[in-house]
This record gives sequence, structure tokens and C-alpha cells, in this order.
Amino acid sequence: MKKMRIASIVILILSLLAILYALVFSPADWIVYTIAIVGIPFFVLSIGLLNMSKPKKDEEEERTKEPFIGY
Amino acid sequence: MNLMADILINVIIAFLAGSLLLGLHRKVMARVQLRPGPPIVQYLLHSLKFFFKEVSFPKTASMPFYIGITVILAGIWVTGVIVGPVAKGSLMILFGIYAIFKIVEHNSGSSSGSPYGKLSCVRAVFSAAGELPLFAVIGLVFLKTGSMNIADVIAYQSAHGPLIMSIPLAAIMLFALILTKSPYSPFAITKGKDIVSGFETEHYGVLRGYIMFSESIAFYILLWLFLTLFFGPISVVGYVIGMILITIITGVINAITPMLNPNHSVMSQITIAIVCIAGTVLMLVA
Repeated sequence: MKKMRIASIVILILSLLAILYALVFSPADWIVYTIAIVGIPFFVLSIGLLNMSKPKKDEEEERTKEPFIGY
Repeated sequence: MNLMADILINVIIAFLAGSLLLGLHRKVMARVQLRPGPPIVQYLLHSLKFFFKEVSFPKTASMPFYIGITVILAGIWVTGVIVGPVAKGSLMILFGIYAIFKIVEHNSGSSSGSPYGKLSCVRAVFSAAGELPLFAVIGLVFLKTGSMNIADVIAYQSAHGPLIMSIPLAAIMLFALILTKSPYSPFAITKGKDIVSGFETEHYGVLRGYIMFSESIAFYILLWLFLTLFFGPISVVGYVIGMILITIITGVINAITPMLNPNHSVMSQITIAIVCIAGTVLMLVA
């Protein structure tokens, strides 16, 4: 979970910087399209992963290691 | 306007409008079935609520593909916004987006390792034939207007009148596609309740909210495409009225129609496509 949090922060910063770059400097169209197609989805996902509630310490193991049951 | 600002504004509009339309769709279905149904804004609230819910990853999930596939889903619909409302670009790219969407359904289902997801994954392959109407629509629009570019099609309609008047059967085909993609559709075999939520079953919490974000944009883009291709240059009010009307019609149809089994679903879509293609070609020749 800690690794995911760090990755989310890095992705959030990178995607935000890329979007701001496209907003402020208006680069060539294809660069803006690339930033939008890659940056917007990663920006939304990283916000979600950082915002989400976290499991309690003693429940963390079962949340990540629990196999499917019943089938 | 700055291109990035234009894209961001259109993505936000697509998400908000798509969410409200899906909420309206659910409300209409409920009222037809004599239930009060949730408020129209509920779909939007659900999407936002899931962003604060805890996510856990199944032991059987194929990481990082399990998360990556949701990013691809969002990416293709942001591309849809760019090709559609922002750039009014090529219809072939939109067709490509729908082809990738099938791959996303397939891989999202298989990446979780859940049998429900896997069944949905098999159905996604099976239902790929359901995209035939979209390809046929693009071909027929090209035969009529001589272009596959949305901006050219709009210009053609402003000079010659809406395409709904000259190739109505092609419009019926695209409407069939809207019906296929709408929630609880008789053709929505990949998300049938017999397999819980299909390829989305094991994506919950933040990832479900993220998928709902993409689906809202997808529904908006499909309605925008239908109105733009067949009703020509229309105002914002025209888009709003058109989208609400189509949502109500699909809601009524889905409320009174049981889901077809996979065979019947695919064969019905192919039959609609063949009849409409033949009819439109005859109309164009005559």
C-alpha cells in the first residue's frame, strides 16, 4: 500500500505538471493530445488512490491477500 | 481557446452530462416499472462517492494490468472527447475506440481472475459482432457525404439538410448501438446480472468510481455522435433536448425488455444491421 501511495503521488505530480505545461505554453496539437490522453486518466486515478480510505493496520493483510471464496 | 483548456472543459462536461443522463435513464426505467427509483443525480454522486472508498485487490488479480485496464478505459474515452466534440475528427478513430473498448471489456474481465469476469470476457469477444452496425453507419455516411470526417459531415448537412431524412435506416442502426451500450439493455450481455456486474464485478472502490467516470463520458460521446451525424449542426439546446429524449426512449425500451441470451443478442444486432444496410443502399441507388 505504501508503494502504491508513493507511485500515486509521483503520477499525480507528473500528470499535473504535464497538464499545466499544455495549458500555459500551448505546445503543438499532437503534444497536447498526448498529454490529455495520458495525463487526464492518470491524474483522475491518482487523485482517487490518494483520496480513498485506508484499511486498519490489522486488517491490511486480509484485504490484499484474501482469495475469492465460494468458487 | 487554448486546446488543453478546451479538452478539459469538454471532458468535465461529458462526465457531468453523461452521469446525469445515466441517472435519468435509471429514473425512467424505475418509473416505467412503477418504482420511485433513485434521484437523477444519484449516478453522479455514486461515481464521486467511490473515489473515497477503500479499494482492495483480489489475490487472483493480474497486477498491474488489473489497474492498467481502467486507465486504458479512461484514456480511450478522453480520446473520444478529443476526436468528437473538440476536434470533430475522423469517424474511423471513433470506430477504433469502440474496437479497443471491446478489448478493454475482454481484458478487464480476465484480469481479475474472477469467473464472473471471465464469462463477461468471453461474451465481450462474442458480442464484438455488435459493433458491425457502427462500421456500417460509417460506411453509409461516407457513401452519402463523401467524407469520414465529422466536420465535413456537419458541413454537408448544413448544405443538404440532416442525414436522418436521407438515410434514416443508418440512424436506426446507430440507435441500436446506443441501445446496446445503455445500462440494462436487452443486448448488454457483457454486464448481464446473471454474471453479477460482468467485467466490472471485481473492480470496486476507487476503481469502480473510475470506471463509472469513463462510462459517463462514453454514454455522452455516443449520444453526441448520433445527434451530430444525423441532425447536423445543432445548438447546445438542441443537443440537450436530443440527449434527454434519446435517454428517455432507451430507458423505456430497457425497462420493458428482458435481456436476451448471448446468441439472440448478437443475431438480433446483426439482423438489424443487415436489414438497415440493404435498405439504405437501395435508398441511395434509387
